[in-house]
Amino acid sequence: MADVRSGAVQAPGLVAPRRRRRTAEVGRLGPVWAVPVVLFLCGFFLLPLGSNIMRAFDDGQGGLTLAHYIKLLTDAYFAGVVIETFKVAIITTVVCLLLGYPVAYFMVRYAGRWNTVIVFCLIAPLLTSIIMRTFGWTVLFARKGLINNWLVEWGLVARPLRLVDTELMVYIGLAHVLVPFMVLSITAVLQGIDQRLEESAQILGASPWQAFYRITLPLSLDGIATGCILVFVLTNGSFLTMLLLGGGKVTTLSLLIYQQFTLTQEVAFAAAMGNILLLCSVIALVIQLRLVRRKGVKA
Amino acid sequence: MRQSLPLRLDQISKSFGSVQALSPLSLEVQPGEMMALLGPSGCGKTTTLRIIAGFSMPDTGSVFIGDRDVTELPPHRRGLGMVFQNYSLFPHMTVAENIAFGLKMHKRAPAEIGARVSEMLRLVHLDKFADRSIHQLSGGQQQRVALARSLVTDPAILLLDEPLGALDKSLRESMQFELREIQKKLGITAILVTHDQEEALTMSDRIAVMSTGRVVQIGSPIEVYEQPRTRFVSEFLGTANILPGEVTGPAADGRIPVRLDGSRALVSVAADEGVREGARIRVALRPERMRIGAQGEGIPARMRATVFRGSYYAYELDVDGSDKPVYVYADEPIEAPADGVVGLTFNPRYSIVLPAEAA
Repeated sequence: MADVRSGAVQAPGLVAPRRRRRTAEVGRLGPVWAVPVVLFLCGFFLLPLGSNIMRAFDDGQGGLTLAHYIKLLTDAYFAGVVIETFKVAIITTVVCLLLGYPVAYFMVRYAGRWNTVIVFCLIAPLLTSIIMRTFGWTVLFARKGLINNWLVEWGLVARPLRLVDTELMVYIGLAHVLVPFMVLSITAVLQGIDQRLEESAQILGASPWQAFYRITLPLSLDGIATGCILVFVLTNGSFLTMLLLGGGKVTTLSLLIYQQFTLTQEVAFAAAMGNILLLCSVIALVIQLRLVRRKGVKA
Repeated sequence: MRQSLPLRLDQISKSFGSVQALSPLSLEVQPGEMMALLGPSGCGKTTTLRIIAGFSMPDTGSVFIGDRDVTELPPHRRGLGMVFQNYSLFPHMTVAENIAFGLKMHKRAPAEIGARVSEMLRLVHLDKFADRSIHQLSGGQQQRVALARSLVTDPAILLLDEPLGALDKSLRESMQFELREIQKKLGITAILVTHDQEEALTMSDRIAVMSTGRVVQIGSPIEVYEQPRTRFVSEFLGTANILPGEVTGPAADGRIPVRLDGSRALVSVAADEGVREGARIRVALRPERMRIGAQGEGIPARMRATVFRGSYYAYELDVDGSDKPVYVYADEPIEAPADGVVGLTFNPRYSIVLPAEAA
């Protein structure tokens, strides 16, 4: 078929030399280049992951058992920890969204040349060691710390509050580190939304708030979704903040895993918890990919 | 239903930092009239439109829609319609949802919204596209949706911000007529902001030519084209050949004799009030109103180049006394003499007398 068609436009007897596809040269070694990476991933990612999954079924005498999962999901204490884990992750995500969206909106719409400064301030906590950050908060919120001094001085409270080693501290510590992920995910999407869309909505009778709610907010949902999933997954994985700022008040799966490994050495049970956490992250990731794909079709 | 309201700008001014974007500017648009704000970028036309829309607050002055002073009103309470340069359609809504948006904001009943939306879709010939997404439409179709969306709420005044700027040439021309027809049919007061002189000439009842934050001339398309009052207007609307000279005699029969500088040719031009014998003036001549004749006729000139422009031929000529080459458009090719020396003539009726500006 192709020959017939090319014959129609070419002088008889002349056959145009077939052009070599340039990609073929680059791609000739194709699969071979990937071998080291694949080997590395197999050795240091898939294998441990597989053995961890298997370890969770280990009953200690060489047999298989579902006991660890059953214990994790039915035992009141551990089921409570699973619920607590999600509670912390969801609250942190919501807090980061409520704090982060206005910041992102301000950065995109009004900050102008101050944008760089704001971005730096946002990612500064990520560049600081977790120990510094955590003890910084502890100093601020201590009984004789700055916050309590102010509260007493302004007469808002009669006696210094006990703020250190509370749930509140954990949320503050988490939001401090995780807000930048939310803000940067949202600014990335907001930057692509033409401000004139809000203006058209206003001309059509929408108040500034309605214009935001009906136009900008729905258009930035992708950024919100990305930010939320990032913060959710990262919260699930963090335990140092809970350990250092929670004072034992907040016990999540990741913190429990850490304790199981280092203190009680119940490795199989820790593996089961790890797998539950991994499953949650995978589910979150799938949700995000689906959202992104839907957007791709739309555009 | 809507009634057409007049729009009045009273001494509005605006500056951004040290830049005076608008000098105190007053403008009146009659009900049902299409007024074009025409000028190069940075002339203040967009600033004026944004002040009318309510996106920008004037430093001084007031905006009146009908008898109502709307200067302090936010955009959503002004009851205007606006078509934006890049249409600004809501990408997460269908065609019908885009058009219905304004009605929803005005809290109309769902049944009424449905009826109005189909009515608007018919008006812009997009009946079959109601459930399409915006991405599936061509530029011209998006333009129609933007127009339908802006008209659906029966606005008192329609603002058009370079509405056809993003379309290609042939589509732009047909849309010019269509837009104008719809505006006339609805009898809606409209403000058209454009830098395209052809668009302004084709679509508007009156043109306000703007330059550096001022309205320099206002009048019907024919007036501003045939009787520009300044060199800027004459050159911004169409092409103008400017030839300086001196009035050598009194006006007679609606004509005045003028001795051109350089070539010393004596020509007769249309009389202009306030021009006396001995006054220094400049004569502006449209290339399509001039004729190339034999040597000895009219103004002596030397041919420099010919360009075929499709529907006409453009000739570039040197004339003593003109700082720029003189252009003449002709429908048919002209045989230039071997030495290239020709004479230029024109009908005095179509000549324009401009004051001699200092420097």
